[in-house]
Amino acid sequence: MPEHGAHRELKEEVKDRFLDKLSPSMVRSKLFWASVERLSRSRLNRPQWKADRVSLAHFLRNTRDAYLKRAPVVWTNLLVPSELVIGLGCIPFYPEMAAAAVAAAGLAPRFIDRAIEIGFSSDGCSYHRCLLGCAIEGFLPEPDLLISLNYPCDSAPLSFGYAAGLFNAEQVIIDIPMPGRPSSRALLAAQLEEVAMKMAGLSGLKEEEMMRGLAESIELSNQALGYLCKVEELRKRDDCMLDGKDAMGNISVLSGCLGSQAGAEFYRLLLHELEERGSVGEDSKRLMWMHLKPWYSQAIFDVLDRHGVRVVCEEYTHSCWEAMDAGDPFNSLAAKVGNHFLVGPLERRASHLVRLADNYRVDGAIHYNHWGCRQSCGGAVHIKRELRRRGIPTLLLDGDCVDHREYQEGQISTRLEAFLESLN
Amino acid sequence: MTPENKISWFCTYTPLEILDAAGWHPVRHFGDPDLLESADEMLHPAICPYARACLSQELRQEGPHHAFFVNSCDAMRRLYDVWKEEFQQDFVYLMDLPRNEGVWGRKLLAEEFRHLIGVLEDHSGVKITAQLIQAAGMAREEARLAYLESAKGLKGRARLEAAMRFQGGTEQPEPSSRKGRPVVLTGNLLNPTGIITSLEQAGAMVVWMDLCNGDRSFASSTYVEGDDLARLLDAMAARYLEKHPCARMQDKGRHYQLLVDRVRSEGAQGVIYASLKFCDSYLYDFPLLEERLKQEGIPLLRLESDYGDGHVGQLLTRVEAFIEMI
Ligand code: SF4
Ligand code: SF4
Repeated sequence: MPEHGAHRELKEEVKDRFLDKLSPSMVRSKLFWASVERLSRSRLNRPQWKADRVSLAHFLRNTRDAYLKRAPVVWTNLLVPSELVIGLGCIPFYPEMAAAAVAAAGLAPRFIDRAIEIGFSSDGCSYHRCLLGCAIEGFLPEPDLLISLNYPCDSAPLSFGYAAGLFNAEQVIIDIPMPGRPSSRALLAAQLEEVAMKMAGLSGLKEEEMMRGLAESIELSNQALGYLCKVEELRKRDDCMLDGKDAMGNISVLSGCLGSQAGAEFYRLLLHELEERGSVGEDSKRLMWMHLKPWYSQAIFDVLDRHGVRVVCEEYTHSCWEAMDAGDPFNSLAAKVGNHFLVGPLERRASHLVRLADNYRVDGAIHYNHWGCRQSCGGAVHIKRELRRRGIPTLLLDGDCVDHREYQEGQISTRLEAFLESLN
Repeated sequence: MTPENKISWFCTYTPLEILDAAGWHPVRHFGDPDLLESADEMLHPAICPYARACLSQELRQEGPHHAFFVNSCDAMRRLYDVWKEEFQQDFVYLMDLPRNEGVWGRKLLAEEFRHLIGVLEDHSGVKITAQLIQAAGMAREEARLAYLESAKGLKGRARLEAAMRFQGGTEQPEPSSRKGRPVVLTGNLLNPTGIITSLEQAGAMVVWMDLCNGDRSFASSTYVEGDDLARLLDAMAARYLEKHPCARMQDKGRHYQLLVDRVRSEGAQGVIYASLKFCDSYLYDFPLLEERLKQEGIPLLRLESDYGDGHVGQLLTRVEAFIEMI
């Protein structure tokens, strides 16, 4: 169940009713899902944005179907294009997002500790320790297939390898080739096609059904992209209502919903609402957020609010691909994934961030150094330098997105306060 | 070798025969384990200490700083990024390495070899032919066999030093006179004056080092023959992916089987798993390997290294207890 979109009161209710008694069999019972869905439709769920209702309903339905095994379940890491899985009649399940949801519910430590007991080191990324703990304890839906891309990080191919053994399911690792090589696109497209055949086999689709399904999901993804680009234009305005601390949760939509009706509907509604709703009504300093946020605490954002500073753009929730050709799904998806800014050398990520910083006219930037994330922390100093060259002060904040025990509240707020003072 | 044609390499998947054929003199970089904190300014402290040790040492050295990186892990990719930024005048290259050992992996790697050859030719103006690669491959194969021959009877630290010397270091190993319980050491990469020395003190005799700076570099041949460059590179890619793998590769089963076979063939009584901190490939590998060795009835001890290994004294008791137990 994703954290995204759930209203605080709803979360409290879910916590009181279910979380303390949560068991592997409970998450596999129809009754449980019926109650959760009822709650999500109740008046207790008053999300800040109407679009959030759509994404929440989508994720609840998908997660329910994954637990109840209503279609083949495919575990995927962040960069696996959801269009591919959805188009082939399978349910994409993103365990990294599940870990964020578990963290938001305050349940991560128990699962992280379970993974450590098995022998996973506390020096690894806590998203993966948490998801492995959940998997070992029987809390995640069993995969029929696990797909991991070799980006953005080493963790997914490795931890999915363990999970594949646990569930006795096949793991496919797709190697995204280095960008810019002449055959990169074709090699990636061929791997995507091969894994597509496997998924079509799982869901019993014939070739023409497979191509139709993919064409449909790509069309829907293109629609979502169209709306997203317009959302981005609106977000560039000085007074845009959508705060990055909330928009950051949209990573689950961007990664997990594209290719579905819900993905397109989410961005359509968001656009509509942004057009309708007025301004925040005040001038504030503009920040860019890099990497992810702690899912269990709003404390950092409370400090930002106190200083009148707003996150206006976030690293992972913006469009970074072109509209795709529904008639040529594998090449199109290969272009989308293979050109992602996290693929290849750091200069690609740096250019993406510099572009964002320029487009959104930021006054400063924060890189949240999630413990154990080598790909992001490993490049943080370089990114900071690049931004500084453009006169953008940048703060590197060490913390953990999932494990609140590793969150040094005092230290973080002291450094944050000092940084924000300097911005003013 | 002139400083101008010396090129540092870091990963055992580096296609040394191609670099040789292009006229480079590849030397493995081991970094300075005592200096690694000085890299903190550029690489987060929770990044592989080997990567940080290499950077620290290089920053203190005179150039040129030519370097060949393999995209083997996040740490290596990030080290490449910093290196490229710091040493802009030098030849700094990043070659991709698939995790798949199957057909797409082979194609990808062969394409990488082709691309590399193009870049090297542009850089040096030397035409790299199948014949040149084959001759370089033959010389590499002879050196590999020479290492295996010279390492016969070498144990522990002496063996690791010999392996490092064959990868481009210069120190002559001291033959080890120590005796002890035969064990196989597995992991990523260790400093010869660190953990491995304490293993000897504790009564372990390391007979095979499944380390990337140890025997693993010499365990498999990558030599191929052929006059047609395209076919030669395809065959080479296949050989590289058939090599004794490290924990980053997808086929864990083969990796573990080779380790178990090695334990049996060397008459080892246990396995010591010693890996560098913050190396995800090995951090995630341990629970699976532990399970497999348990099934095989092979005792296993896990140790962690920070490359400098100032803490080795504290490990002695654990190693002694393990040696006693086996
Ligand atoms: S936080 Fe970093 S290491 Fe963890 S899953 Fe995300 S990209 Fe990978
Ligand atoms: S030891 Fe591990 S983290 Fe370090 S370079 Fe080797 S594979 Fe990468």
